[in-house]
Amino acid sequence: MRRIVLLVSVALLVATTAAQAGPIGLGVGAFGGLSWPILQDDVSNGSVFGVRVPVKALSMLTFEGYYEKSSLGDAEEEIGGVTYTREGFDHTGIGVNAVFGSGGLGAGFYPYVGIGSHQLTRTGTEDIKDTAWNFGLGYGIKAGAKLSVQIRGELNMIVTGDTSRKFGNATAGLTYSLMP
Amino acid sequence: MKNLRWILPSLAFALFAPGCILTSGQILIDFDLPNITASSSTGVVGEQIDLSNDSDYKDHKDDVKAIADYAVLGKFHNTGATDVDVEVWMTRDLTTLTSAGAVTGAGLKVWGPLKVPAGGTVTVDWDTSAKMFTAAGKQALLDEAKGDGNFTLYAVGAAGTYSFDVDNGVIALVIDFGI
Repeated sequence: MRRIVLLVSVALLVATTAAQAGPIGLGVGAFGGLSWPILQDDVSNGSVFGVRVPVKALSMLTFEGYYEKSSLGDAEEEIGGVTYTREGFDHTGIGVNAVFGSGGLGAGFYPYVGIGSHQLTRTGTEDIKDTAWNFGLGYGIKAGAKLSVQIRGELNMIVTGDTSRKFGNATAGLTYSLMP
Repeated sequence: MKNLRWILPSLAFALFAPGCILTSGQILIDFDLPNITASSSTGVVGEQIDLSNDSDYKDHKDDVKAIADYAVLGKFHNTGATDVDVEVWMTRDLTTLTSAGAVTGAGLKVWGPLKVPAGGTVTVDWDTSAKMFTAAGKQALLDEAKGDGNFTLYAVGAAGTYSFDVDNGVIALVIDFGI
């Protein structure tokens, strides 16, 4: 966790420093959507929401700090003719994305990759707290001089040793440009 | 930007390579246990488990990395006159032990205790059951899943005189496969 926070801080510091020398951009955004577990029998889909702080470092690169929280649904499995329910995970994550192209502050398509520290908790399971990777594609639509709508599809992968817990996230959000 | 165009394909190649962290999943396998009767006077009966009887396990046996979740499920009915603490024990081979003393002497505790009041019935749900596994039991089950997959489970009372039945018993394991 400390390593990720340090990484996020360094990335944002670098981005801020670079922004001072290049095209400046700073925004703040909120998003919400759905999260689907991938290849996981013991949890089902749920909601996800969070905040982002994009800092434009170069004309085609934006670093974006994020915090997200997801309440995943209970899994229902029929075992031996009886339907059993397993509590879904509460999923929280903090990290940074490197957003290419228009970079989540403007309009158009953009790919992004990211790294974070994510945690999965539920009754009867030891907390899973590991490094997560994000891979996604976004589309921005201008909704005014300072405001844009950001729509994203993302693969979020929490690395658990030799395997991973994977989630597909579909979100929509609003980002407000503080600078310029 | 010129160099950036190689980043995503390279990353994708590394992640999608066979056996990598991306091509993994958490798959539920379960085993029905026959209706069990355990009594301090008439003895216990073990249930021999062969994980290879599950097709998902059989197909991915070599890819087992961890067990993500565990549950012993079923309806526990105390037919005795005193409360009973039910425990599940395991021997790491296929055995046919008949007394609780032999089971606790040769095996290790996997799950429990589950308190069932005298004459009462307790149906165990998944969330409750998952909390009741011992660390040694989890490790032993993982070792078996990575090993020959053969072991024997016994339900016994923790102490004293007891008599109970288990109906619709199931052991459920969510196995972390590196597909």
